[in-house]
Amino acid sequence: MTQRPEKTISVIIPVGWRSANAVELYGEYKQGLDATHLPYQVIFVIDGPNPAFQAGVESLAKAGEPIQIVNLARTFGEATAIMAGFEQSQGNIILTLPAYFQIDAAEIGKLIAGLDQADLTVAHRWPRKGGWLEGLRRGAFHGLVKLMTKIPMRDLGCGARAFKRIVLEEVSLYGDQHRFLPMLADRQGFKVLEVDIRQSPKDRFEGVYGLREYTRPFLDVFTVFFLVRFTKKPLRFFGMVGVSTFAIGVVLTFVMVIQRLFFNHQLADRPALLLSSLLVVLGLQLFAIGLLGELIIFTHAKSIKDYQVDRVISFPRGAEHQPVTESESADGF
Amino acid sequence: MRYHAALFPSGWPKALRPKLSIIVPFYNEEESIQAMYAAIVAAIDKLGVAYEMVFVDDGSRDKTAELATELARKDPRVRFVKFRRNYGQTPAMAAGIEHATGDILVTMDGDLQNDPADIGLFLDKMAEGYDIVVGWRHNRQDKMVSRKIPSMIANRLIGKVTGVPIRDNGCSLKAYRGDLIKEIPLYSEMHRFIPAMASIAGPRIAEIKVRHHARQFGKSKYGLSRVYKVLLDLMVIKTVASFTSRPLLWFTLLTLPMMVAGTALLAYSLYEALYLRAALSLPIAGTGVICLTSAVILISAGAFGELVYKLGDMREFQFARLTQRVTTGGRIQHEVLAK
Repeated sequence: MTQRPEKTISVIIPVGWRSANAVELYGEYKQGLDATHLPYQVIFVIDGPNPAFQAGVESLAKAGEPIQIVNLARTFGEATAIMAGFEQSQGNIILTLPAYFQIDAAEIGKLIAGLDQADLTVAHRWPRKGGWLEGLRRGAFHGLVKLMTKIPMRDLGCGARAFKRIVLEEVSLYGDQHRFLPMLADRQGFKVLEVDIRQSPKDRFEGVYGLREYTRPFLDVFTVFFLVRFTKKPLRFFGMVGVSTFAIGVVLTFVMVIQRLFFNHQLADRPALLLSSLLVVLGLQLFAIGLLGELIIFTHAKSIKDYQVDRVISFPRGAEHQPVTESESADGF
Repeated sequence: MRYHAALFPSGWPKALRPKLSIIVPFYNEEESIQAMYAAIVAAIDKLGVAYEMVFVDDGSRDKTAELATELARKDPRVRFVKFRRNYGQTPAMAAGIEHATGDILVTMDGDLQNDPADIGLFLDKMAEGYDIVVGWRHNRQDKMVSRKIPSMIANRLIGKVTGVPIRDNGCSLKAYRGDLIKEIPLYSEMHRFIPAMASIAGPRIAEIKVRHHARQFGKSKYGLSRVYKVLLDLMVIKTVASFTSRPLLWFTLLTLPMMVAGTALLAYSLYEALYLRAALSLPIAGTGVICLTSAVILISAGAFGELVYKLGDMREFQFARLTQRVTTGGRIQHEVLAK
């Protein structure tokens, strides 16, 4: 890369069920973005009907603000909304911002500046308000994520992230994976940086988090855990669990057979028999699933590459001053 | 291209002389890379073959990448592939193989433990018509208990299971026919099993003794870490190498004893209950039911495997083509590998 291209920012704001006043929100973000002195475009992706917000952005558009609005016909989820916005974007830097006040917009520049050292920057709201229960929930969640993926992040709930365009070109998001973009990007070999950003004074959730808000992220952690750790070697996981289950079952059965033969314990009235045989079957099943997974990987090995080449450098004769540098990308997962 | 000594008793004709690619993955080897380059150049220049070096930087955190870029700048024969981060030895090898352009690819470690002076022996062996030549570190300079004994057991096991009896799978110094190895899928942590994996194409494999030096710089980075990984990988290789194209058959064969046992047990318990008027023996009937259930599950898995294979892009034919020999009118055509 000889010439660094001029930075242009595409701001994607996915609007879900939780949204602030559009005019007020845009006003704040606009101030923050103007302060970066970089050209930018703003794309609102309205994820499912949201009349109040819709009216807000339409009034902004009427007032001559250069915003783009993408309307999704039903609620698809934030990850899909981001991908929809990404499709419309042209900037070489993508900035996702939450549709409600999470961060102090004046600090947006810090996220963009962080891209000089990394491929992806995520905001970490700090100092942080909130009760101890909230803190506990956050701590448990991030602790679990760290345990599962070995990547320490402190604020995955914050929707403010900036990244180079190539990141989203190579990491495809679906479901609720927007939260785990840092992990998925790290897996693809991108450098991830956490930036401390002041929390917005208006970042306050008045409602009560439903059970779903507590359980869903944990299920997502599980998904990401699989994606990050075992997609390339399914048998490592299923095989290990399967073999140990199978082994426990076999040992248990063996013990019971010995007891039957030499100690005259009747098998018929032993619930343990049921357990041991179920373990054996379960072990076999898990192992078979793992093998099938390996078969899938093997038969697609040509199309899924498990490495990302940063660049290839060679100086063929006759072109001493011009390196043949090709950046390469491959679709992994 | 395939070369055969019988065809060219006085050595390779110049036009057919193979181009050699030497693939070296580096991971934090700033002390070794310069010496490695010098050793390769010194050794190969003497052989008088056209060659290139493909250096792969596996996301080093030291100055390896800068040094390699510098080498590429000075020497047009060096091609440098830089990873975005550390991915491990198998991806590094795979990337090197992908970016190499030679007819014969030689892989070796970047830590100076392999001796580039041995590469000539590999070329001679390849000229005899072998598709893969692997090195055997017969005087291995490593710790006995932690490295040599586990690897001896592993090699025995690998040889038994895969049917490719190689004494030293862990030796990175190997030579491959380029067009063949480029078609072999390499992923996960398969670098120890490349010859075994390549056996899906039915290559002719030779083994030769190579020198092995003790480590001069740094620590060993890729160890024979966990046994279970090797065991599971071995199982994967065995499965994919021998049964990929017929998973249903394979799973069915696996379940045959279960089907027989299950049916027999169930029949016996029913016979007991219906004809001998005894109480239904729960353990016997239960075992029978479980055997049959497992069999059904596995057969379903096999059927599912057929679907997976059908949707995949791996065909045995493409492997067969790599090593086939076509005889037309009594003349053996060795070069049938135009893609």
